[in-house]
Amino acid sequence: MTQPILDVQSLAVRFTTSSGAVTAVRDLSFSLHEGECLGIVGESGSGKSQTFMAALGLLADNGKATGSVRFRGEEILNAPRRVLDEIRGNRIAMIFQDALSALTPTMRIAEQMTEVLARHKGMGRKAARARAIEALEVVRIPDAARRIDSYPFELSGGMRQRAMIALATLCKPEVIIADEPTTALDVTVQSQVLRLLDGLRRHTSTSIVLITHDLAVVAGLCSRVLIMYGGRAVEYGPVRDIFRSPRHPYTQALLRSMPSMVIDPAVDLPVIPGQPPDLEHLPAGCPFAPRCAHVIDRCHSESPALERVGEGHFKACHREVSA
Amino acid sequence: MSTPLLQVRNLSVHYTLPGPGLFARAQVLKAVSDVSFDLAAGETLGVVGETGCGKSSLGKGILQLVRPVAGEVIWQGQDLCQLDSKQLKPFRKDLQIIFQDPLSSLNPRMTVGEIIAEPLGLHQPQLSAAERDRAVDAMLERVGLRADMRSRYPNEFSGGQCQRISIARAMIVQPRVIVCDEPVSALDVSIQAQICNLLRELQRETGVALIFISHDLSIVRYMSHRVMIMYLGRVMETAPRDGFFGAARHPYSRALISAVPQPDPDQPTAGPVINLDGDLPSPVDQPSGCVFRTRCAHAIPLCIRQRPELEPLAAGHGVACHRTRELGR
Repeated sequence: MTQPILDVQSLAVRFTTSSGAVTAVRDLSFSLHEGECLGIVGESGSGKSQTFMAALGLLADNGKATGSVRFRGEEILNAPRRVLDEIRGNRIAMIFQDALSALTPTMRIAEQMTEVLARHKGMGRKAARARAIEALEVVRIPDAARRIDSYPFELSGGMRQRAMIALATLCKPEVIIADEPTTALDVTVQSQVLRLLDGLRRHTSTSIVLITHDLAVVAGLCSRVLIMYGGRAVEYGPVRDIFRSPRHPYTQALLRSMPSMVIDPAVDLPVIPGQPPDLEHLPAGCPFAPRCAHVIDRCHSESPALERVGEGHFKACHREVSA
Repeated sequence: MSTPLLQVRNLSVHYTLPGPGLFARAQVLKAVSDVSFDLAAGETLGVVGETGCGKSSLGKGILQLVRPVAGEVIWQGQDLCQLDSKQLKPFRKDLQIIFQDPLSSLNPRMTVGEIIAEPLGLHQPQLSAAERDRAVDAMLERVGLRADMRSRYPNEFSGGQCQRISIARAMIVQPRVIVCDEPVSALDVSIQAQICNLLRELQRETGVALIFISHDLSIVRYMSHRVMIMYLGRVMETAPRDGFFGAARHPYSRALISAVPQPDPDQPTAGPVINLDGDLPSPVDQPSGCVFRTRCAHAIPLCIRQRPELEPLAAGHGVACHRTRELGR
């Protein structure tokens, strides 16, 4: 197998707060392969976003990351700023949920886009503007040559999200990390944006990490998925295997609790009881133990390690529970 | 069918916006135009549409939280639109609302007990303090919280728990109708089903009718007996749940259904996705004729000239499209 483009090993992320230490990510290992779309699924407090903030050196000041993140074999976790500056926005780009707050409100789209090209590619103003218009056209922004002089607030939500994708793709990055890129969007716009990302991956072999709370979005776009809960990986593997035969009780319960278009609406959905984990008071053992229907004594005291259950398929659970 | 609980007739809600320049004339944003429906006791009407379609304004217009510019909201023989705020007060008890953002819709300076008791103080002032406390405790337990949580503040609760508090506040005065405005959109996936099931249980127990406003068709399908699709303030299609999801006829309804992602890698959408070209037109400058025509693959010159009325196709199934019959199923 070829070397993964991004390789995360034993990552831990901790924050020091006034009320004590908070562990956002614990003992997390996974990899991203060339040209694939990897889904990272989790709810509030699962650590899915902080994982990538840590990898790119974007943690808040009170945050500390340990472990290893290798990008094309080179260690980037806690790398010096000049190393990360060359990578961020250039070789690894990010797309966020809220395009309005991710774009600078007081700068026209044109300035934001040409600045990136001037900085990373040393392009002159005219060439940069032409390249930026081209990128906007790729994401099907109508009348791009005129719209490029808009401020972010002048664009609709869907158009803003597409502009952010254009901005992320300007330098032809090797990896795009998309953090809930469609959560704020309507369903018809969501499907446009997802198709756009998929097209990008297929035509330019950009590797994509799709961070989302929505398993349905993962089903359509990703080949592999990492399911996180309470800062840990609970299940990891090929999308088809995990949707067909989920092995972790959390994945199983999550899939059952989704009101898809094929369920019988007359029957009440099975729910996962309880609340998402409180990171300040994580249990000693398995983070899902307080909500798990299959919990045994051991789950409360001993945190299960990720173990292989099939070809490239892993789960972190002491029990053998079939869906 | 029995007499409907609530009748909404030709309801329109407009907002006046400042003009584009200092001396420009004010603009009118037509958020809701000419919407009619009946709601029966124990029924859930799902109101679906994308951002800016007027679904929230419709909910607020029905409750008179914004005053409609035209139309009627008939409740127990009275048109609520004709009543002033004092005359409306006795009706407010029957018609409650819960909002999308559970934390910001709860007063952060009030304890949970005070928040839930407040509507009782307004609508049943004859209750003694002890009776009120008993009612609050019972309601807390009914929505899945504990009575001892009454002295805590909203910020001590998770999103799902805050939504339970909102539901308790709405249910404590035994309303007949609750407008639920995107009640689960801000919640974690594992919590959405909890809140949906709570609303379904409360409906089975009390016969409360729900107007369930959402952009999520999978959740609307799970929650609703009937569905109403809105676009730029107008009703495009309305139908019983199974008639809608099995045989939607309006091109916009079909595009919406086709785009819903499914948790199935072999069939990530229910069928081929129908693409909608372009963006939503500005609600202050709406297209002539059919408001959907600028994005419709089936638009013909008639759609530019004339607005299609909501035509009945089958029992309870209406479609506002000139081409319904020729486009077929």
